[in-house]
Amino acid sequence: MFDSVFIGLEQVFQLQNLTFLFFGVFMGIIFGALPGLTATMGLALLVPFTFTMAPSTGLIMLAGIYVGAMYGDSIPAILINTPGTPAAIATTFDGFPLSQKGMAQHGLVAAAFSSSYGSLTANVVLALAAPPLAIASLMFGPPEYFWLAIFGLTIISTISSGSIFKDLLAGTLGLMLSTIGMAPIGGDVRLTFGFTDLQGGVALIVALIGFFCLPEILNSVIGQRKRTYTAVTVKPSFKVIREVIVDLFKQPVLMLRSSAIGTVIGFAPGAGGNIASMVSYNEAARWDKHPEEFGKGTIKGVAASEAANSAMAPGSLIPLLTLGIPGSPPAAVILGALMLHGLRPGAELFTTHADITFSFIMGLLVAAFLVTIIGSFGSFFFARIINIPSRFLAPGILFMTVLGSYAIRNSMLDVWIMFVFGIIGYISSKLKFHPAPIVLGLILGPFAEEGLVQSMLAGKASGSVVGYMVFRPISLVLISMCVLSALWPVFASWRAKKRQALVVEGGAND
Amino acid sequence: MINSDLIVSIFCLLFGAVIYYVTRDLSYLGGVFINYLLVVIGFLSVVVFIKGIVKPEKIVFFRDMAERNSVVTGIVILAIYLSFMPFAGFLPSSYVFYAVFNLYLGEEPLSRKNIIQSTLLSAVVVTVFYLIFYHLLQVPLPEGSWFESDMG
Repeated sequence: MFDSVFIGLEQVFQLQNLTFLFFGVFMGIIFGALPGLTATMGLALLVPFTFTMAPSTGLIMLAGIYVGAMYGDSIPAILINTPGTPAAIATTFDGFPLSQKGMAQHGLVAAAFSSSYGSLTANVVLALAAPPLAIASLMFGPPEYFWLAIFGLTIISTISSGSIFKDLLAGTLGLMLSTIGMAPIGGDVRLTFGFTDLQGGVALIVALIGFFCLPEILNSVIGQRKRTYTAVTVKPSFKVIREVIVDLFKQPVLMLRSSAIGTVIGFAPGAGGNIASMVSYNEAARWDKHPEEFGKGTIKGVAASEAANSAMAPGSLIPLLTLGIPGSPPAAVILGALMLHGLRPGAELFTTHADITFSFIMGLLVAAFLVTIIGSFGSFFFARIINIPSRFLAPGILFMTVLGSYAIRNSMLDVWIMFVFGIIGYISSKLKFHPAPIVLGLILGPFAEEGLVQSMLAGKASGSVVGYMVFRPISLVLISMCVLSALWPVFASWRAKKRQALVVEGGAND
Repeated sequence: MINSDLIVSIFCLLFGAVIYYVTRDLSYLGGVFINYLLVVIGFLSVVVFIKGIVKPEKIVFFRDMAERNSVVTGIVILAIYLSFMPFAGFLPSSYVFYAVFNLYLGEEPLSRKNIIQSTLLSAVVVTVFYLIFYHLLQVPLPEGSWFESDMG
């Protein structure tokens, strides 16, 4: 295997391949960064260009696009509170507050470095242990997806800053919005109110733009007439890059845990980076010594989200390369590219075509390094974007929100949905009914519903729905984690009160 | 001051009632998840409603009239832009929207210099993104029904 690794590295470091890899990463960052464009779209658009290339060159370029896009989506999430793709939703929780404190470059560098870290870790797992992990991925059935979605929803207790009941209510409304369209089982058309375009459901990116981007512009730029997005002018420097990378090196547990979460969720087919980043963010906040810093602008929050969603990308390739099951939509496009080059997923990829497969895997690995380099140097440019006066920036952002919402399905209805969600998001933010849990529900709803209904059907056939849904090894682990996660805020509050009491007692004794 | 809890809970109860009404004929498999969610929405809405009576969360919606007027004007400009796009087409409506919004957000009084600056900026930004999306990414942006009928 190590021979194949070296052959792969040799392929990647050929000047032509390295140039295409660089181009791929650059294009990936652009596709990730523009709301409305996705990694899947970028891959699909550039796959035809690989027809005339050697298989390894084409796949190396696609590797660059995939890895680049996983980082690119964090740029608008940090700068303007708009995730480039749904996978960057958790990046907004701390990324945008960092920007507002004038620390946009900190967020951008943290995102680039942690994306690389997550991607590198998952690539090592992909290279070393893909076949056995692929078998484990088959253990994920409907009950596991249901519990994974519920576990993802427990993040509400972490991000809740006001009334937990209102945030839970918002999460449930989001779950309800996710049921718009055709039922996953049964085929009923629900809550479309006669709009046939809605049969496919509400596009996630449209909801993200509506709930996150538009309310911010309405509130800060239009309502409060802020001259710039941030009160403090951002002054990028090399010192910041060094500081952030050193700080993140001092967080090995956070980085490894986030990467591991991303990899594991990645190899569960269909789960994707959305869940990975949320679960990782939740765990980071739970186990940190200063959980109160999360949500107020800490690079740890950005790192947790980005390491996980970038680790998801190579993770999703594990079932793809070994079993032919794409773990995510971009992985499905890569499957198409493999087939076009005459490569069939399975054992042959790691034996007969090992040189090409490992060129691709090493391409992912080197692309991860390129992300740190491009991301760190790019932060000098990106961070300055929010120094642009709002009167110039806001119309451009609004224009992009319209364009991005339209481009998803070429539908004006999506633009109007974005507009309505934006107004609802603005009103709900003012009412301290935060839109983040609504979006969480919207993202996790399809997993929860499909998992629940399929489990009910399979459970009835096997004699016991509860037995089928609960008494499975991974389900039991996930249920335990859900309970732990739900009770954690109570425990944390009790621990904080106890500490405070001890301090007061100590002070009185002194 | 507005009682946020009461508004949110009443809205959610009404929302739940509407959803219940329009989904009452669904098949068991199509409706089971929705029914569970309706129960949760009902329960949480009642809890928030009670909290709104016992320990209400009071908020100020707009700090002053100027903020309210600005937000409403911004929403109206955006709504007009979206309404006109299918008729006037993506390019003309976007040129006008960008320039108008830029001028609206500017603090200086309207002058020839501002108008020229906004128009030029609008032309550059909108055209660049139009070329990327329409020609490079092949996104079929609205052509505008007014122009289609003229050509026909």
